[in-house]
Amino acid sequence: MSISLPTYTRRETPLLGRSKRVGVIITTGLRRELRRPASIVVTGIGAALTTISSIVIVYLARVLLPGQPLDLTFFYVPASNVAILFFVTLMSAIVGSGLIADDLHSMALTLYFSRPITHGDYVLAKAAILGPLISLVSVLPLVITPIVAALFGFFPWDVALPAIGLSILAGVLFGSFYTAATLFLSSLTTRRAYAGAGVFAMTFGLTFPAQILTNATGNSVFLYASAWENYLAVARALFGAPQTMIDWPPALAILLVATALAALATYARMRTQEVVTA
Amino acid sequence: MLVETSDLTKTFGDVRAVDGLSVKIPDGAIGLVGPNGAGKTTFLRLLLGLLRPTSGRGRVLGHDISDGIPVREKIGYMPEHDCLLPEMTGVGLVSYMGRVSGLDKNTAMSRSHDVLQFVGVEEERYRKIAEYSTGMKQKVKLAQAMVHDPALYVFDEPTTGLDPRGRSEMLDLLRTIAKTSGRNVILSSHLLPDVESICKHIVILDGGHQIAAGELKALLSGAADRLRVDVRGDRAAFGQKLREAGHEVEVGTTGLRITRRPGVEADVFRTAHTIGAEVRYMGSEIRSLEELFLELVERNTRGGA
Amino acid sequence: MNAVVEATGVSKWYGEVLGLNGFSAAFAPGITGLVGPNGAGKSTLFKLLIGQLHKDQGELRLLGEDPWNNVPIKRRLGYCPEHNQLYGWLTADQFVSSLLRLDGMPSSEATRRAQEALETVGLTAVKDRRLRTYSRGMRQRAKLAQALAHDPDLLILDEPLSGADPQARVHILRTIADFAKDGGHVLMSTHVLYEVERLTSNIVLIHNGKGIASGNVHEIRALIDRHPHAVRIATPAPRAVAEALAPLDHIASIEFPAEKELLVRTRKPDAFYRELPAIIEDRRLEVTGLESPDDNLEAVFRYLVG
Repeated sequence: MSISLPTYTRRETPLLGRSKRVGVIITTGLRRELRRPASIVVTGIGAALTTISSIVIVYLARVLLPGQPLDLTFFYVPASNVAILFFVTLMSAIVGSGLIADDLHSMALTLYFSRPITHGDYVLAKAAILGPLISLVSVLPLVITPIVAALFGFFPWDVALPAIGLSILAGVLFGSFYTAATLFLSSLTTRRAYAGAGVFAMTFGLTFPAQILTNATGNSVFLYASAWENYLAVARALFGAPQTMIDWPPALAILLVATALAALATYARMRTQEVVTA
Repeated sequence: MLVETSDLTKTFGDVRAVDGLSVKIPDGAIGLVGPNGAGKTTFLRLLLGLLRPTSGRGRVLGHDISDGIPVREKIGYMPEHDCLLPEMTGVGLVSYMGRVSGLDKNTAMSRSHDVLQFVGVEEERYRKIAEYSTGMKQKVKLAQAMVHDPALYVFDEPTTGLDPRGRSEMLDLLRTIAKTSGRNVILSSHLLPDVESICKHIVILDGGHQIAAGELKALLSGAADRLRVDVRGDRAAFGQKLREAGHEVEVGTTGLRITRRPGVEADVFRTAHTIGAEVRYMGSEIRSLEELFLELVERNTRGGA
Repeated sequence: MNAVVEATGVSKWYGEVLGLNGFSAAFAPGITGLVGPNGAGKSTLFKLLIGQLHKDQGELRLLGEDPWNNVPIKRRLGYCPEHNQLYGWLTADQFVSSLLRLDGMPSSEATRRAQEALETVGLTAVKDRRLRTYSRGMRQRAKLAQALAHDPDLLILDEPLSGADPQARVHILRTIADFAKDGGHVLMSTHVLYEVERLTSNIVLIHNGKGIASGNVHEIRALIDRHPHAVRIATPAPRAVAEALAPLDHIASIEFPAEKELLVRTRKPDAFYRELPAIIEDRRLEVTGLESPDDNLEAVFRYLVG
């Protein structure tokens, strides 16, 4: 017979490795973000709208797009659905803006970095939270459309399957840029609202002026400033659609470099973070 | 050695926050004190690997500080500032942080509950941290530092914002941790009596250097050859009577100080009886850490200036 | 002598939330420490005193007057709020002098008084640095400077030492002590009990919106007879001392916590201390040390508030 009152207890089990620890940050973050009503709504509406409008286009292709052959090049159409731009921006601004900003605001960064993880682990984990969420809007619709199209018999599987692969590639490329850029903006401020505004500014401040300037001056070089236009150029190349306005090699390079720079800048920001105590 | 540094330096632009610091901190419960700007926080962050030294080296629990990951596996840090995630529940945050430290899911959950019980967070653990009082938040901060059972605890101003009851509870918890064998504590605080009540060893920093270090008892046993007596009654007459009995007495505002000699205690009570005064305190002349600290810092300022 | 603050049945609610609930106390002249758990009503009391809030019930007198809607009395007050958020872009000098000018002081006098106040709190060397660069201890001193600058009769200080390093603490305590010595009154709230004890024995204990005790801390302690006074006696012959003390009727218990030690609990501490020297002499006892571990504010707080 004995009484054991709660006292300081020792840990018996060993510690798990770094990949497991990073994995915890990712799964906990994903779970938290997916439960947010905003993410559910944006994902739901975004994926649904994009998918449904793409499928409608598939169905009414002959009527809506005369002269568009029903082969692989067709799948450039859903990939260029501007709803994707809209919903990716929305998702980044609503969900992604707070990923780092909230930790800066609550100063929970101190807790994270007093743990056995590196700054790189942290940034990678945050990217692994945001990436999949953005992909729900940038990749998922593009994957569902060929499947539905093939299931309904509009397209043979030997066209639909490559379409799926290429869509994933294009969607991931676009999604990665927005993931990196949003995380970078989120790391700059303690207020998620500002970061969100930054995401909107990036989209609307770059894309629309670029298009306007191009139309006004007739010089399409301005389009290279817009991530969306660069993505479209790459998508055209992937699906074999005719190249217009801008070329895909510089477009691809710009997207990749911008993504890499944003990622590095975020990492650098985290490294120089010093929590200020009063 | 718990912590060993050799010529550790960290500069921020022109400011040398930590300047050629070479310390040897033994195991146990250590107090880290110093004025604002002395480099305490910078020093702790260097130990945790949150900052990289400009030059010099350091070792914590046998690992080089440039090797941040193994060091942080063994440290539990309770920061001074607010750092909790407000939308998480108490138990959610503690188990999450435990898992980020490498605990598996079940151990994390089990230890989180144990640790929250230990610090005194009851059903509040299921509520969101945003709703917690200051005292509760401090307890959760302590819990997240404890959950992975680190060999070294670093407490930075752990009683800030707590009311007297909260302070005393927190100090009791810290004392229990400090007394656990195999567990070490570095307590950084401005409240020197707190440090005195928990730590056996002290490191005093000023201007990025160490200006004193050692066993608290040794540093504080000032004039062991004097007896301090607090008297209720006519203090001056008391002192006079003792002098007539052949003792060296100094009558001050906070009591009398008498040079020790065999029989002095008996004489004190006899004098009290004779003149009808009361003895309210009789004991060693022990300096407080605060007095020692102020003296050392002043000496350092004068010396360095 | 008139009390500095006199409260009789003062109540203040924020909707359902309790601020003060029938708070009654009298604050003596000089320095008074206001002590109580978080949420006890300290900030509410201060806000009532500086006229920021209006009481719902009861009578409140500050220096003999009703503080509500009373602009002239604000000239005689200096208030140090608890929070540390100051106008970061101002220098300490600008901060104190602009507040003085808000008071109606002409510019040149404001500048002079600001510099004097900053000198008193020891911030002269850094008075031209912006407040955002200040450490906690320096901010506390800056707040204290602005409270002193217009030469008030009464200082109301809410946690003036919180976060201050030992040197800042010494400065602040000395400033407060000097202010009181020159005839000023001070109302100071704090959680760190030994700091209050260093300055004064006058306390007001507040809990759940009510005043639980006010007056001299030792007298209050003596009244708490539910918890007899503990006195630790160091002696090479504890049993002999115990035998000598046991017959006294006010002794509640005697323990032997360590080899050469005796812990006596007495219901009448004054009688105990009065009789002790005689007992020691008559019975030729050897007593080498004497201390009372719970005759302090911490014990009073613990026993009354829990």
